[in-house]
Amino acid sequence: MTSATRPYYVPVGVEEQVFAAAFRQGMAVVLKGPTGCGKTRFVEAMAHDLDRPLVTVSCHDDLTAADLVGRFLLHDGETRWVDGPLTRAVREGAICYLDEVVEARQDTTVVIHPLADHRRQLPIDRLGVVVDAAPGFCLVVSYNPGYQSVLKDLKDSTRQRMVAIELTFPPADVEEKIVSHEAGVDHEQAAQLVQLGQAIRRLETAGLREVASTRVLIAAGRLIAEGLPARAAARAAVAGPLSDDPLVTAGLVEMIAVYLEDEGC
Amino acid sequence: MSREPAAGPDVDRLDLLASAIGGRPLEVGAGRPGEPTWTDGTIVFVDPDAGRAEQVVSVAVQASLLVGGGLGPAIVRQLGGRPGLARRYLGLEGHRALAASEPLLPPAVRRLIDRDVAAGLADPEASLVRARARRALRPPPESFGTIRPRRLLAADRRDEGTTTGDVGPLRPPSPTGDLPDLDEQPDDEDRGRDVGGLLASPVGGRGLLGRLLEHLLRASRDARGGAGPAGADAPTHRGSARSRGRGTLTSSPPGAEARGPTAAFGPRLRTYPEWDVRRRGYRADWCTVRERAPEPGDLAPLAMPDGHVLRRPLARLGSGLDRVHRRPQGDDIDLDAAVEARVATLAGAPTDGAVYVENLRRRRVLAVLILLDVSGSAGEPGPAGRSVHEHQRSAAAALTAALHDLGDRVALYAFNSQGRTAVHVTRVKGFDDRLDGRVAQRLGGLVPAAYTRLGAAIRHGAHVLDETGGTSRRLLLVLSDGFAYDHGYEGRYGEADARRALTEARRRGLGCLCVSVGAGTAPLALSRVFGPAAHATVPTTGQLAVVVGPLFQVALRSAEAQRRTFQRSERTREQLELDRRTA
Repeated sequence: MTSATRPYYVPVGVEEQVFAAAFRQGMAVVLKGPTGCGKTRFVEAMAHDLDRPLVTVSCHDDLTAADLVGRFLLHDGETRWVDGPLTRAVREGAICYLDEVVEARQDTTVVIHPLADHRRQLPIDRLGVVVDAAPGFCLVVSYNPGYQSVLKDLKDSTRQRMVAIELTFPPADVEEKIVSHEAGVDHEQAAQLVQLGQAIRRLETAGLREVASTRVLIAAGRLIAEGLPARAAARAAVAGPLSDDPLVTAGLVEMIAVYLEDEGC
Repeated sequence: MSREPAAGPDVDRLDLLASAIGGRPLEVGAGRPGEPTWTDGTIVFVDPDAGRAEQVVSVAVQASLLVGGGLGPAIVRQLGGRPGLARRYLGLEGHRALAASEPLLPPAVRRLIDRDVAAGLADPEASLVRARARRALRPPPESFGTIRPRRLLAADRRDEGTTTGDVGPLRPPSPTGDLPDLDEQPDDEDRGRDVGGLLASPVGGRGLLGRLLEHLLRASRDARGGAGPAGADAPTHRGSARSRGRGTLTSSPPGAEARGPTAAFGPRLRTYPEWDVRRRGYRADWCTVRERAPEPGDLAPLAMPDGHVLRRPLARLGSGLDRVHRRPQGDDIDLDAAVEARVATLAGAPTDGAVYVENLRRRRVLAVLILLDVSGSAGEPGPAGRSVHEHQRSAAAALTAALHDLGDRVALYAFNSQGRTAVHVTRVKGFDDRLDGRVAQRLGGLVPAAYTRLGAAIRHGAHVLDETGGTSRRLLLVLSDGFAYDHGYEGRYGEADARRALTEARRRGLGCLCVSVGAGTAPLALSRVFGPAAHATVPTTGQLAVVVGPLFQVALRSAEAQRRTFQRSERTREQLELDRRTA
């Protein structure tokens, strides 16, 4: 079911038009972008706009084909088939969003192949049937190209079945708007947080696991909205999650002190 | 004028701020108390007694000057020996650079920008032209610091890899060292110029004299042995500074684990013992390893080879998916378990519901650290024409890519040395770094230079593997021509220490293997250095696929046995200790 209010998403390019066009053409979509840049929120907003239910699967290392497609379970001495989330989406004509698809094993991701090309079919070996995707079904996978995973990369045969939409962190003015809206802080506070975030993003080589995403800035903003001083909020929501190295953390705390002004300071 | 309370010595906490504004790795170091802030292009020296707010402004100004090109060599050369002009220029360019970096500046710094001054200046050249004009200008605020043209030019020469005599690569760009006031004194072209300056001058730099001196001072080594005493550090040759730590290195006495002048980007220092075969004992804390990450200037493009060929022999070392029966969840129903469970249920016995077959990945847990020898000897051409370095670099890249593709944890470090206090280890890829274009560029930027203190590099590699490998099965792979040579580290002494270092690592349960690619080193010579560790020599990278599988297997099997022995002996030792205490 789609929600009554549209999830908040501010477009930064033509991504909404590309997604809608791919949807109408029955094409699969791959979303590329760094952690916390708004991939999931974008899919939620598009599902709302296109009035389709959204089925989300967070992919992981041990995700098997059966986890996606379905399996037989024993119940009261009888076997009963239970659809997996992918099969459910195919039958219902929903948008199926496989988050961080590179985390899944390659023998698992092959099940999406016949769904991602012109066939739009899901073969279910255990049932011996082939399910045609209902109208409105759309396969969306997300993928962080810089993320080091056990499987590292999408297979070329998978990639070439999809339309790619590249998302990055939004420009400062848009990001300010997003942080302000999502966190419920005023524009000036949001601008300071975004400036801090952008400064940290220039430190990609400084031993940080990831750069400061829009998500961590919103988290800091939400703590501020709860009445926490800005610096304390950023230390908890930005410096802490980004690094465990005490030296790097000390440097981040110093940057927070320089970029964020607590009231009364 | 009242000053803010002093910020204390922890100025290195401003490293990240400087790097964020400067858009490059920058460090912040403590300068002389009371002196204005200045930079040599790598380190920003601030007054340690100044208040934090003043330090932040100074760092922001100097970093903005760097990122805006205001301290480029073409500009700075014109400011040399003209402190008045430099000051006028700083008063203009400082505001222009700050205005250009404004979106990145903290609020307190933005308030300092004189927009009237900045508005009319398009670039650093415009600032210089206006500074030259004989028009009254407002002096720069004290917090802007100062410009030291000679320091900037000296650092620039180091960056270009110029061999220096007086200012060697191990000398820090000390805020209190030599050349203290030259930038503040009137111009005198030749006075105080160091040997580096002579070599870089139009006469000496690329001229005949310069080239001759450079050739004489270039790192080289002589297999026939050195003149120094065993283990002593008495350099007889200087090496190219390019592949080492450049200006950020310090020559301070090492502790067991020390940091450079600043934290985030400086070299990590660590001391290791060395085995003295003649005394049959260790020299404690004898070698200092300086680990550093390559700087932007060290990068060069390199196409990463496809590790596809190596993947097959290496993949066989692991195991695939296992179908595990009697699991509480799984892809299929385990018929035997289901029937038994049904019977048990009908008989009134409890069942655990473990009636499924699950595909479980029994993935090998393997961490591999590759140590790549980038000493001067690797730069020499091998029998096949290509240099040994090219062969080894390509082998390192292929192995890293293949192991990475297979899901192993892999790290790649390069090493060379210049005496026992300067064993340089460069982190090309740490275990937690991504394998991306930057790794390829770092690898491409490695230039063979200096010598090979193999033992210290191996000990450091084993330490890194222990600390960050993160898996129970760990492998140390040394890619070297097997030629252990450094100041006081020749012949039997060096070979014995390298062998000893490998034995130490193996005793701790690390698998060790050594591969020599394209070097044409005699098998016997390799055996002397690599001892009982699995080792092989191949003429080209292409033939690596043939030996790499068996070598890995031998090393892993041996490590497994060693680990069991080590654990057994540890248990015995603990038991004996317990018995002794009880008695």
